[in-house]
Amino acid sequence: MDPQLLISGVIFGLSIGSVFFLLSIGLSLCFGLMRIISLDQLLYYAIGAYITYTLYLVTGSVWIGVLGGMVISGIVAFGVERFIFLRIYERDITFTMIASFGILFAGVGAIKYIWGLAPLPVPSPINAMASIFGTEIPIYRLIVIVISFLVYVSIWAFLNKTITGKAIRAGIENVEHVEGLGINVYKLFTTTFIISGVLSGLAGGLHAPLIMVDPQMGLEVLPFVFMVVIIGGLGSIKGTLVSAFIVGQVISLGAIIYGPLAQMAPFAIMLLILLIKPTGLYGSKMLKR
Amino acid sequence: MPTDEILAVEGLNVAYGESKVLFDVSIHINANEIVSCVGRNGAGKSTLLRTISGFVKPTSGTVMFADTSLVGIKCYDIARMGLKYIPQDKKVFSDLTVRENLELGSYATQDYNWDKVTEYFPKLTLLMERKAGYLSGGERQMLMIGRALLGDPKVLLVDEPTEGLAPSIVAQLQNVFLELSKKAALVIVEQNLSLVSAISQRVYAVKEGRVVHEISDEGEIKNNVCEKYL
Repeated sequence: MDPQLLISGVIFGLSIGSVFFLLSIGLSLCFGLMRIISLDQLLYYAIGAYITYTLYLVTGSVWIGVLGGMVISGIVAFGVERFIFLRIYERDITFTMIASFGILFAGVGAIKYIWGLAPLPVPSPINAMASIFGTEIPIYRLIVIVISFLVYVSIWAFLNKTITGKAIRAGIENVEHVEGLGINVYKLFTTTFIISGVLSGLAGGLHAPLIMVDPQMGLEVLPFVFMVVIIGGLGSIKGTLVSAFIVGQVISLGAIIYGPLAQMAPFAIMLLILLIKPTGLYGSKMLKR
Repeated sequence: MPTDEILAVEGLNVAYGESKVLFDVSIHINANEIVSCVGRNGAGKSTLLRTISGFVKPTSGTVMFADTSLVGIKCYDIARMGLKYIPQDKKVFSDLTVRENLELGSYATQDYNWDKVTEYFPKLTLLMERKAGYLSGGERQMLMIGRALLGDPKVLLVDEPTEGLAPSIVAQLQNVFLELSKKAALVIVEQNLSLVSAISQRVYAVKEGRVVHEISDEGEIKNNVCEKYL
């Protein structure tokens, strides 16, 4: 394989993996703590992208758009949690999953109504290129990778160094015991949901300049996000990071080797990992049913 | 409610779906008293403690803690009011260190005085940085009780505390419970009759979801009269 093609493929894989990571944290945390499969995170991802587009048109800055997308996604996530999930947390996991799917579809409908059906372009905020071993790489892709690493470090620090983060980790192990200590777990649920929504919005905003923004964009990444959280292990941030980069590389390098592999190979990897380790790479045995 | 009574359960009925578990259960606990509940597995003892502490909603009946009705109050608010439930499963937060486990207890109650914990369980001082998942069964039980002591609870509901523990640890817990009763009332679900007879002022025998006997005579308790209910 041409080394330059390989280098650009790896960087492409890391950047797409970064977006998957940011998008999958929410799903992973929401399942770990609240035992819900929060497919509506894909809606906040799309909202993040659309707000980035709109604010770019208004201000001329993609970065302001990304920030605005994070804020609006967090606000929408907060509203959804307060008005819908708070009422159904104690229901069966299938019920909450169907509810989140409904929220996603309703949201996609609202996006079509507000922004229309046509795909919309968001320009890259940085058009400069960097040379890595003689291969020209768009600097924006490198920035996306760096941002995802910074988010990982921040989330790690939040979960390990703050008392709220420790309570969330404890809740992922056993919500009832956290309640037994006198901690209001519903506040933890809300905090987790807002963080998840903000990060999904960030994923959408960062991804927008790399793709065309369209109403179905959340549904299009759904299979990959599922793969990331399943391969990494539900509830594990480290697992989510590792598996996001595995999926990103498999898609990127698979496409270089043979086009259809980009769609097929991640599923094969997922099946292989589940055969060897049914809880995923970093999944906890405690989350097994 | 009599002045020294701190917890009163009246006519409590509990069902899991169609399956009724507790039938018209009434018990009362006085301040600084140790009361044991004995009975076979599945008799409803744990359900009784879980209902009092707010984890299970009763279908009818009242639970009064001092002068406050606990029915309908969230379990985390009940814990903050000073009624702590220590479950049977000995599941500490295994991914967190002993220190972090205690920090969570302090976070909930805003009580950062850990001397009261290490006074009863000095061994925990040496284990502060160890992940709780690597503790022995006895150490886990110490941590769970220690964690619950933060916030100075007025009632401790302790579910099968000695199950699976070595006799030396059971003896240590026995002394701890007797010491704790100077500061709080304890309701202990237990099948270890030697412990029950050594520490209890009263015993409720629970059978098939009903309180079938209350033993308050010290001689009867010491003579393990409640053995027939196991």
